[in-house]
Amino acid sequence: MLKKQALIKAILSSSVFLSVSFSALSETVIIVNPNNDSVIDAKVAQRIFLGKEGKFSNGKEAIPVNQIADSPSRTDFDTTVLGRSSAQVSAYWSKLVFTGKGIPPKEVQNDAEVIALVADNQDAIGYVDSAAVTGNVKAIPLN
Amino acid sequence: MKKLILIGSLSLLATSVQAELRINGFANLIGGITSSDDSMYGYDDDFSFTSESLFAVQVSGDINSKMTATGQIVARGKNDYEPDFEWAYITYQATDNLSVSAGRIRQPLFRYSTSSDVGYSYHWVNSPRVIYDVPTQNMDGVRFDYSGYSGDWEYNMQLGLGSFSGDFLGNKLAADNLLIASAELSRDWFKVRGVYGVTKVSTTGPELTMALDVIRSLGLPEFANDLASDKDTGTFTGVGMEVDKFDWFIMAEYTITEAKETFVPKTVSYYLSAGMRAGKWTPSVTYEKKDSANQPKFTDRLIGLPAEPLAIATQIGVGLQLGSMEEYSVTSVGVRYDLDTNVALKADVSKRSDDLDDTRDATAVRFAINYIF
Repeated sequence: MLKKQALIKAILSSSVFLSVSFSALSETVIIVNPNNDSVIDAKVAQRIFLGKEGKFSNGKEAIPVNQIADSPSRTDFDTTVLGRSSAQVSAYWSKLVFTGKGIPPKEVQNDAEVIALVADNQDAIGYVDSAAVTGNVKAIPLN
Repeated sequence: MKKLILIGSLSLLATSVQAELRINGFANLIGGITSSDDSMYGYDDDFSFTSESLFAVQVSGDINSKMTATGQIVARGKNDYEPDFEWAYITYQATDNLSVSAGRIRQPLFRYSTSSDVGYSYHWVNSPRVIYDVPTQNMDGVRFDYSGYSGDWEYNMQLGLGSFSGDFLGNKLAADNLLIASAELSRDWFKVRGVYGVTKVSTTGPELTMALDVIRSLGLPEFANDLASDKDTGTFTGVGMEVDKFDWFIMAEYTITEAKETFVPKTVSYYLSAGMRAGKWTPSVTYEKKDSANQPKFTDRLIGLPAEPLAIATQIGVGLQLGSMEEYSVTSVGVRYDLDTNVALKADVSKRSDDLDDTRDATAVRFAINYIF
C-alpha cells in the first residue's frame, strides 16, 4: 500500500517536472539568418527592436521583423526583452515616428512568417517560440 | 514660369510616390468641464471639446538613402480645427550618430517637446500646462541631433539655431538669433536632461505700445526702454529627470524663463508626476507650479519723481509688470487605460489653487481618447 502511494507520488512529481521543463523549453528565442556572423544577445536585440541601433556588429544593416500585437511571441518578447508592455512599446514608437526619428519594424502575422523572412534575408532579425524554430534559421536563446 | 513650377511639382510628386510615402497620424479628443462659474484649461462649466483637442497627419518620404522629408499638418480645436503646417523639414542623416534637420521643426525645449502633441505617448490627459503651454514649441531654422551610447549610458544632444514667433499675453512675440542646446543622458530606468536657450526677443501689441508711449510722454524714455521688449535678451533654462521602473515611475521638470531688460517677469515653472502601471491601467498624480510673482523691476527709475508723473508712471509701468505675473499650483489625479496598442482612454481631475487671486481657483474634469495610426 505504502509502496503504491510512493509510486503514485513519484509519477505525479515526475509529470509535474515534465510539464515544467516543457514550458521552460517553449520560450521565445531570437532568430537570424544562418549566414549572420554578428554577435547577438538580448541587449543587442533590444537596441535593434527599439530603433536605437541600425546595424549588426558585423557592420551590416539590421532589419528587425516584428509580430502583430495579438501574437503570444510578441507579448513575451516585449515584456522580457524590451521590458515594456506592447502598449508601452507602441507609445515609445509613436514618439519616434512623430519626430521623424524612426520607423517601427514591419509586423508580420506569426512565427512561420518571421522564419520565412529571416531564412530569406541575411540582414533580418526576428523572434519566435523556440518550438517553431527550423533548420533554416539560427536561434539564439535569450538568457 | 508657371508651367515650369507645375512640371517641377509634378515630378516631385512622381518621385515621392515612387519613394513610398509613410502616412501616420494622431488624434487627441479631449473634453472638459469646470466647477460652476470657473474657467480652467480653456474650459468653463459647460462641457466642451474645443480647447485641447487636435487631429494631425504626418507624411514623410525618403528623398534618397540619407535624406527624408517630413510634413505634419495639425488641426487644433482652439483654432477652429483650421489645418496648419506645424512642421515641414528635411532631415539629412550625416552619420550613424548625427542628423541635421532644416525647416520648421520643434525646439528641444522640454523633455517631451518632440511628442507633446501625441497624447498616446504619455500618461497625462495633456502635458503639464505650466511648462508645455508656451507661445510656440516650434522654430524655423536648423537642428543638429547627435545621439549614441557608451557602455550602458545613452546620450542625445540637440542644438537648434533659428527664430520663432507666437502670441504672448495678447501681444505678438518674435524671437530671433535663437540658440538652444540640450543634452539627455539615460541608463536603463534613469534619465536626466538639461537645456539652455538664448534669444533676442521682441514683443509688440497695441496696448503695450500705448502704455510705453504714455511713459515716454511723461519724460521717462529710459523707463519706457527698460520696460519695452525690443530685441532684448531672453534666456531659457531647464532641467528634467525621470525614474521609470516600469511598475512605477516618477518624473520632474523645472524651467526658468527670463528677459531681464523687459516688462516680462522672470518665470519659474515645475512639475512632479508619479504613477504606476498595473496591466492596462496607469493611475498617476501630478503637482504643477508656476511662479512669476516677483518684485517689479526698474522702480529705481521712479525715485525722486514729482507726484503727478509718479502716479501715472507707477500705475502703467508697474501695472504692466504686475498684470503679467502669475502664481498658482495645479494638483491632478488621473488614469490612463490602454484600450489597444493604438488607442488609450484617459480621465483626470485637476484642482487649481491661485496664490494671487483666489477667485481663479478652479476644478476641472477632463476625458480623452488618444489615437495613433
